[in-house]
Amino acid sequence: MFNFRVLAVVKRELMEKLFSKAFITMTLLVPGLIFLMLGIQALLYSSEKKNLRIDIITESDNLTSAFRNDFLESEYSKNGKYIFSFQTMNKEELKKYLEGKKKDLIDEKLGGIIFIPSTAMKDKKVEYYAKSSQNISLFKDLDGLINKTLIDQYFNNKTLSKEELDFARLGVDFTGFKVSEEEGIKEEGYGNLVLAYLFTFLLYISLLMIGQMTMQSVIEEKGNRIVEVILSSVSPTELMTGKILGATLTGIIQMAIWLSPVILLMSTTIFVLPKELLFSINGGVIVYMLINFFIGLLTFIGLFAMLGAIFDNPQDASSGTMPVMMLIIIPFFIALSMMENPNRPVAEIASLFPFASIIVMPARMTLVGVPFWHLLLAVVINILTFVAIFPIAGKIYRVGILRTGKKPKWGEVIKWLKYKY
Amino acid sequence: MYSLEVRNLTKTFNKIVAVDNASFEVPDGSIFGLIGRNGAGKTTTIRMMMGIYLPDSGDVVLKGVKIGPEFKSKVGYLPEERGLYKKMKVIDTLYYFAEIKGKRKNEVHRKADEYLKRFDLYDRRLSKVEDLSKGNQQKVQFIATILHDPDFIILDEPFSGLDPVNTNLLKDIILEMKQKRKVIILSTHLMDYAEKLCDHVAMIDHGKIILKGSLNEIKQKFSQKNVSLTFDGDISFLYNHPIVEKIENFGNTTGIRLKEANQTQELLKLLIEKNINVKKFDANDISLQEIFIELAGKDEDFIKKEVANV
Repeated sequence: MFNFRVLAVVKRELMEKLFSKAFITMTLLVPGLIFLMLGIQALLYSSEKKNLRIDIITESDNLTSAFRNDFLESEYSKNGKYIFSFQTMNKEELKKYLEGKKKDLIDEKLGGIIFIPSTAMKDKKVEYYAKSSQNISLFKDLDGLINKTLIDQYFNNKTLSKEELDFARLGVDFTGFKVSEEEGIKEEGYGNLVLAYLFTFLLYISLLMIGQMTMQSVIEEKGNRIVEVILSSVSPTELMTGKILGATLTGIIQMAIWLSPVILLMSTTIFVLPKELLFSINGGVIVYMLINFFIGLLTFIGLFAMLGAIFDNPQDASSGTMPVMMLIIIPFFIALSMMENPNRPVAEIASLFPFASIIVMPARMTLVGVPFWHLLLAVVINILTFVAIFPIAGKIYRVGILRTGKKPKWGEVIKWLKYKY
Repeated sequence: MYSLEVRNLTKTFNKIVAVDNASFEVPDGSIFGLIGRNGAGKTTTIRMMMGIYLPDSGDVVLKGVKIGPEFKSKVGYLPEERGLYKKMKVIDTLYYFAEIKGKRKNEVHRKADEYLKRFDLYDRRLSKVEDLSKGNQQKVQFIATILHDPDFIILDEPFSGLDPVNTNLLKDIILEMKQKRKVIILSTHLMDYAEKLCDHVAMIDHGKIILKGSLNEIKQKFSQKNVSLTFDGDISFLYNHPIVEKIENFGNTTGIRLKEANQTQELLKLLIEKNINVKKFDANDISLQEIFIELAGKDEDFIKKEVANV
């Protein structure tokens, strides 16, 4: 099946696609965007506002001095992230005070006002006044601190040992540990989650893009009647094989380019990711992803070539591609929903299911440890799917490619399978 | 020796018989005309010869051997419906078409330049195909058909859309190919070209071969009772005249079919008696067009009778 004719077709397809504007733009744009996003993230981390002025107001001098002692001791005060000032006033006075400070708050001369009423000693409810009332990073910074002071005050006059007090002061601290078979238990940040999203999106975009490109090129050949000349030199099976291989190689090259930032981050320390974004995967995941993608792409491209052969023009084709598109879109959403809990049964099944495994498995591998036989099984299933699909797609392609005229119905297409061609 | 034989080819599409038990033989080193009206089954027959369609039954035999995939490399095919990759450069297009025939770039590049110069396209060789005029695209396609030096050349309506200068050039090249002992199959509905170029013809109508053989023999056979006449005056008296079977007006010339072959002198006498200004009186002449019109679209029995008759 593989001969000089197929090779010539592969070469032409590869050249045509690699040097098309759409391919170059998309292929360069995506890693550019990834780097841009990483850059912005890093920039945001490094340029967080310093010297944010925060007024801490309580209703009793006692409480005020307790907060003053604790807050001025805290690292936020010492490293200058926040500048605290402390006052005592009751609710009525606070209202007037707020009136007076309104302009400063709006102009952001004053970052915010935290009001700790005396009732906070019972319900720990504090109030925050600022231009934007939902400042998650500030809440995260200060809630432990406020809690600690309130606890200290609350237990001040009660007889409790220091240990008891220390325990009460502690908040709950989640640390994520990834459990996998081979490497023991490791601490990890959000990095792998980000990576799982990234893999899912890249596979999805590439499948759609290369698939559409192949379909368009088959439609062009059919519409222009080039196919008749080509078929006087190569057999339809050779032409289809060449087209599929050419497009699949294009897809692999594209994916390799897209993954290059990840590979670069894995193998060098030039780029310093923030601690929360550090990821840990081994190179095997990338290699496996490319291999599985290659096999899956062969099948998908075969289907897209088949669709191109059925239809005469892009308008007809766009409605007819729905069934194949679903095979890409559904696994994409399964992969996305898996991010919450990678151990869902649906994720496990989808990561082995024909078509779906291409998108779902890399994300699953990135998030949890996957037994080796699952990885092998997914590949074997994909190969079997290809072997089953290729003759059918090939037959429809052979019949469709020389057919012109009105858009065929699906029933007719199924009849083509019985034709002698 | 026939170089190519088509034996009992049949192809049916959705119960419509496109080609019905067609057989013909293409002799060595000749130009063979496959002629017929639009939709007669020419293209389907050619597609089966090329292996683009699998026939329902029948064989294509090359020098006694049933053709296989290797035949494709020996053939140059110019389909009626032309098509090239629009975004490809002219020269790359030529190389690609040679490559799928198994010829490498360095084997054909001198010849490619030669043909491009001959067709006045050399300075456009780096242009994209889509930037060329339709006529020029057609010339590129023709070069692509013959660049790999095929033994068999199948041309489906090669002259459509070409201006007279390029038509002549194409004709010259076809004749050159013939001198090189290539087998050329010309499919056309333009009888003029077929008559001027072909040595042998097969006429196809409604999927059936209704007439085949050497052009000279066919013409001789059909022309015995025929006179082709150029004149001034009124010949309406000839309609319904006892010696005339049929009159066909072709504009400049009129074809007259007599009832008996020995009546030509009688006809000439008649014309002079009636003071018709005879400019050209050509006994035993018939154009392929006349034969074609006579036979095309008629039912089988009529054709059998007619062919047997003449």
